[in-house]
Amino acid sequence: MIIKTFYKESKELWRDGRVRITFAIVVLLLGIAVWISARQYQNINEQHQIAQKAEREVWDNQGEKNPHSAAHYGTYAFKPKYPLSLVDQGVDKYVGSSIFLEAHKRNEAQFSAAADQTGLSRFGDLTPDFILLFIIPLLIILLGYNTFTKEREMGTLTLLKSQGITPWKWALGKWTALFLPVLLITALLFLITGLVLSNLKDFGVFNWQSLFSLFLVYIGYYIIFINIVLFISLKATKSGIALVLSLSVWILACLAAPKAASNIAEAKHPYPTRQEFAANVLKDKQNGLDGHNPWSKESKLLEQEVLAEYGVDSIHKLPFNFDAYRMQKGEEHEAEIYFKHYNYLKDQYSKQSDLYQSLALVSPYLPTRFLSMAIARTDYTAHWDFSDAAEDYRIATQKFLNANFAENSSYGEWGYRADADFWKKLPDFSYTPPKLNAILSSNASNLWILGAWMAVSFALFLITTKTV
Amino acid sequence: MISTNKLTKKFGDFTAVDNLTLSVKEGEILCLLGANGAGKSTTINMLLGFIKPTSGTAEIHGLDVAKNNLKTKEFITYIPENLMLYPSLTAVENLDYFAGIAGKELSPQMLTDFLKEAGLQEEAFQKRISTFSKGMRQKVGIALALAKDTKVLLLDEPTSGLDPKASNEFGELLQKLKNKGVAILMATHDLFRAKEVATHIGIMKDGKLRQQFVAENISLPELEKAYLDTMNYKEALS
Repeated sequence: MIIKTFYKESKELWRDGRVRITFAIVVLLLGIAVWISARQYQNINEQHQIAQKAEREVWDNQGEKNPHSAAHYGTYAFKPKYPLSLVDQGVDKYVGSSIFLEAHKRNEAQFSAAADQTGLSRFGDLTPDFILLFIIPLLIILLGYNTFTKEREMGTLTLLKSQGITPWKWALGKWTALFLPVLLITALLFLITGLVLSNLKDFGVFNWQSLFSLFLVYIGYYIIFINIVLFISLKATKSGIALVLSLSVWILACLAAPKAASNIAEAKHPYPTRQEFAANVLKDKQNGLDGHNPWSKESKLLEQEVLAEYGVDSIHKLPFNFDAYRMQKGEEHEAEIYFKHYNYLKDQYSKQSDLYQSLALVSPYLPTRFLSMAIARTDYTAHWDFSDAAEDYRIATQKFLNANFAENSSYGEWGYRADADFWKKLPDFSYTPPKLNAILSSNASNLWILGAWMAVSFALFLITTKTV
Repeated sequence: MISTNKLTKKFGDFTAVDNLTLSVKEGEILCLLGANGAGKSTTINMLLGFIKPTSGTAEIHGLDVAKNNLKTKEFITYIPENLMLYPSLTAVENLDYFAGIAGKELSPQMLTDFLKEAGLQEEAFQKRISTFSKGMRQKVGIALALAKDTKVLLLDEPTSGLDPKASNEFGELLQKLKNKGVAILMATHDLFRAKEVATHIGIMKDGKLRQQFVAENISLPELEKAYLDTMNYKEALS
């Protein structure tokens, strides 16, 4: 009965002209979205590589220079564009693509794609994640809203019941007929994406396992929508009512809940404004060691500690340049301050995420979106991870420069110049994003919520078939 | 094959079927006549297990419908007043599906054979049901009964709205099924068709079976008179 009903439903769907047109439109949109994203991905990657190479050349060819001048001159850490951002751009567009690394200061990422766009960008972009998260659920509604109501309206239910159908088998046949086209269209998108990505130069961190995980997350999301739409169709008396109710669920789950969640999260766990953040950092900096100020109370205290440690009575007798040493200690103090304040931001983000997750109970969109961005490495967590790696590199760079300054000059020798070849000894910035397993374990709660949505909605659907 | 014993259905204070006892054996056609609200359709719905009796029993092939709902469906084919099939599927596809969910796997040849036996023209086999008249859809219903090798055929106003030719053809098909040993219960307003096809005729009013005849023992005028008498139209005629 399941297979018979599946074939019958599939035939009916295929013969419905509206369905064919809608299906064709969605496939076309997907094709365009993948094509646009692939081009963007390729362009950005090329720009990224050119900029990275050029910046390194500038760094390497500074010539003879004081290391601390070079520290202020700075360099850039470029955020790699991850292959799966082709599927889900996440927050990439808004968080900036490179971080300027300089002495004394942890900068935020800059040059976001959104900043380069005109006001027209408010209309949004046609991206695969838009199709996957919003359009395919609409397709499910269009295909499935009258799955059961049409049987009542056409009068075929009477004949079916007189034939002795087993309701759950009959309903499962219909479920499968709705699931298959959705599975096909999603599989097609992911297959094309995989083939496009695997044929691009600079393969990056792309792997088929990540793509497949992303595919499974979306399939789970669609299963939930199919269950809900069919549940409504079972309960509704008329197709019109079923359509309105299904669309209401879509509006609530995909549009209203995420926006409400953002507002609630922001109101409950607000981020400090940029000015507040800068003022707090400055205040803490002023209360500690400033590497550039040899006359401050903290500098004098450091001087006494170092003299005592080395058993000498003058900083001129130290085996290194105390100016550089103080500079390094100042860097370490400032790094701690940044660490503390950025940790506060992360805590706020984490609390906001927790709140989002609790609201995921009213919308399967939320856990899906979180998982999708996480697997694509385009969520805030991935950005934080990159930002922390860039900060580690900045700290290591300052240490590298200050060490050269301290070991090769004496106290007060601000005219010291490092060799022209010295800069090449600084290792390149390299960043490895989190592995898939780590991402999935840190998103275990989202996986559980998505799983619970699937199980509960399917159970509800199956139980409701008894009322046929 | 079909039997009811003191079958009663009440909807609140309203008694739709009242202590109905009847029986239809293999190769018999019982036509139930009666006005709207007489209880004919409610009786058929109880035989189908769509509604539960308030008291009494309805049996199909010796099985109590209320207790063996799914099992009794194996023996039944039901053709309502307006048999609705899937409009975007062809006659063959509809027959294949409905026979399939009843557990009958039929080859394409068998499907067309049954449609042919039900009197459907060959050129209609692969046409979508949306282009079919009511009479053509009823023939697909009969083909389903043939395909299922049905033991019991329940019909609710099947000839209503059919033109005389289609109605006559339908009557011939019922005779064919009767000769195969099918027990047929048909609710109808059509006295002429009832007299034509039935072996037995019952007249229902207010949920009760008021009169019952062996069809060959009563002429059409007598049947008409009995019907009108039962409906309390005697005064109007005299």
